[in-house]
Amino acid sequence: MRSLTLWSSKAPIKFRMPTAENLIPIRLDIEVDGQRYKDAFVWNPDDPDSEVINFAKRTVKDLKLPPTFVTQIVQSVQAQLAEFRSFEGQDMHVKEKIVPLKIDLRVNNTVVRDQFLWDVSNFESDPEEFARTLCKDLNIGDPEVGPAIAVAIREQLYEIATQSVSSLREARAGKKGRRGADTFNRPGNSALDLVKYFGSKGSVIRKRKDWYLYEPIVDILSNEEVGALDAREELNARLKRKLDEKE
Amino acid sequence: MRPSGQEEEEEEEDEDDSLARDLYTIPISSGWFRWDGIHDTERRSLPEFFEGSSFTRNPRVYKDYRDFIINKYREDPSCRLTFTDVRKALVGDVSLLRKLFLFLERWGLINFGAGAAPPAAAAAADGVALPPGEAAGPSVVVEEGAPWGVRVVPPLPQSYAAERKSGGAGAATAASAVGGDEIGCRLPPLTSYSDVFGEWTPRKAPFCGFCGEECSAGQHELMEVMKGGFVVCAKCSKSKVICEEETVQLSDHKDGDVNGAASAWTDAETLLLLEAVLKHGDDWDLIAQHVRTKSKSDCIARLIQLPFGEHMLGSMNGKCDSRTSVIQAYDLKTNQNSITELSKGPIQSVTSTHTDGKENVVDESTEERPLKRRCFLSSLDATDSLMNQVALLSTVAGPHVAAAAADTAVTTLCNENTRARDALIVNEETMNNSFSSNGDQCSGLNVGDQDMMLPQRAECQMDKSFGAAAYRMRAATVTAMGAAAARAKLFAEHEEREMQLLMASIIEAQLRKIQYKLKHFEELEHTMEQEYTLIQQSKESILAEWVNLLRQAFRAGIARLRDHHVFPKPFLNKNCM
Repeated sequence: MRSLTLWSSKAPIKFRMPTAENLIPIRLDIEVDGQRYKDAFVWNPDDPDSEVINFAKRTVKDLKLPPTFVTQIVQSVQAQLAEFRSFEGQDMHVKEKIVPLKIDLRVNNTVVRDQFLWDVSNFESDPEEFARTLCKDLNIGDPEVGPAIAVAIREQLYEIATQSVSSLREARAGKKGRRGADTFNRPGNSALDLVKYFGSKGSVIRKRKDWYLYEPIVDILSNEEVGALDAREELNARLKRKLDEKE
Repeated sequence: MRPSGQEEEEEEEDEDDSLARDLYTIPISSGWFRWDGIHDTERRSLPEFFEGSSFTRNPRVYKDYRDFIINKYREDPSCRLTFTDVRKALVGDVSLLRKLFLFLERWGLINFGAGAAPPAAAAAADGVALPPGEAAGPSVVVEEGAPWGVRVVPPLPQSYAAERKSGGAGAATAASAVGGDEIGCRLPPLTSYSDVFGEWTPRKAPFCGFCGEECSAGQHELMEVMKGGFVVCAKCSKSKVICEEETVQLSDHKDGDVNGAASAWTDAETLLLLEAVLKHGDDWDLIAQHVRTKSKSDCIARLIQLPFGEHMLGSMNGKCDSRTSVIQAYDLKTNQNSITELSKGPIQSVTSTHTDGKENVVDESTEERPLKRRCFLSSLDATDSLMNQVALLSTVAGPHVAAAAADTAVTTLCNENTRARDALIVNEETMNNSFSSNGDQCSGLNVGDQDMMLPQRAECQMDKSFGAAAYRMRAATVTAMGAAAARAKLFAEHEEREMQLLMASIIEAQLRKIQYKLKHFEELEHTMEQEYTLIQQSKESILAEWVNLLRQAFRAGIARLRDHHVFPKPFLNKNCM
């Protein structure tokens, strides 16, 4: 444990995505007049804000959406950028932490489920490249799958990064006893026990019986299945919205 | 030395039966790989593991990862291993694992030759040598310039077999060496191979690596197999002296058995080539058409081999040389003769074993001696070939400098890959010895004797291991460059000293000039002063005269007021002052 504390005592750095490129994930789910637009992509926060409106206009034009979507898209992207910027400038505590990331997503007809370990403190990681390799190795033909996986990875990394910021903040404020301990422990639970695997007694070779847990599973759905799933999701979304309205 | 671009890593999976041992093909550039160690290449490429900056990244973890991935691939070398297959079995950051995986893949430690044709892979797994013809057959696929398919070890040279623990392979070598006809290495289908050596026209008997003559069946017992599997006929194995042209021929012979024979250039073909070069310049397609019997790359290789080839190309590019092909053919012949003669020069006893044909050549060459001399004395004017230049440059640069350069070159080559080390290490000592011994001779020899030294040097460099000709050529090239650099540095230093000297003399001259000027000025000042005193004296005397005059006038009683006006003005002024 001594060595662990030795290495984990890195100086805090300014908040950013814990990847090679500082790209933040943006997820859009907009419904106007019964027409729904869902999308996920990454955005470079260093780009000028004027790009958002250009992007929105272009997207609406390309996807032939009603012009009302432009403002909605701009608002949504701006809101998520603003959230990111609220963290920017704060100190982030970089601790060597390897966390399992889970992928469970459906893009068009392809369903990908996967789990793998990610070092949150590795600032050279490249989710896009990882996703590309994954798709190539699994022979996934759909070009939309790779970016979707990359965005999913980035979303989880973003979440962890923001937690490390807020946990730091709450740890400072936690002296006032405001449920600081609760949030502080949360990321620690999912992280890997490094000593167990990387210590002198551990082994980095996983037991063969556990391989299936960290193996990607790809299903190609038929169009009927996709239709059924879409309908169910639609239903769930409506129910959820009704519940929200009631509240 | 095998020209193979591959190295076989042996697995001790089956200790009982060495023939059944699995052989894996990895690129020769990855020869640094050792199961029980971590090489600098690995440290450099993946510094994360060795910086100690992280708990999860340490050399032990790195070795576990690496060994697992390589073992996983070698479970089935014909099957391409993907990163996604690997990461499910390894605990650790996938980004880091991916970097490591890509590193191993780039160095060919995994997925090298994956996706080969199944028969080749099966044969490789059995460890049974394929007949040479089959290896060059269509089962070998060239794809993206990289060798594909796991192939069997070519017969190792005996010296190797002794060094290595692979008894089975050594026995195979010995067997093939006795066979004579089966000697030779199968070449991997590297692109560089086909570029350099081209196609070979089939012949039947093996060729002597020295004289290039076909060895008749009766001579087989007399033939020697040199390191690298080259055939040397009896007469040449006695002399063991070769010159650069033959070295190139030798390297050509390396794969002589791939298609069952080597291609020798006949005089007629060489003539055709020279004609074509004169006619078409450096349009090699046209030249190859003109020669017809040889491929484009053959033609290029041949022209480069010719001692005056570069010169010819050079003169052609400038202005078309008016030499007729007859003269060139004559030149060629004399060159060949002189080279043959040269190769024998140092050792007089060769002639005793010569066949009749060879003796004729010797006789001719003796007549050509003056020509040869001229040829070598002018060897710095780029008409000569590489080895001669190397030798000459080393002589010029001084034996110790050359030895050091050769040493560095050899070391660098060794670092580059281990195969080269194996090839060169044997000769390293002889080379260095030869350099220093030549140095001793050097002091005693005059310029005319230089051509005597050259073959000796060539002998030492080329001794025994002709198979390593490629490496040797590179080492020699680097040596030449090193020697030239050393020479250049000497020159530069000399020039610099010269310049400093000149500068000093200029400054000295300037100083002297100033001194002269000062002296001159002093003299001038002196004269000025003298003149001044003279003037003063004359002034005083004039004044005294005036006073006398006036006194006399007073005595005479002629005192007039207007006489005052008669006073010369300057004197008045002067007196007033």
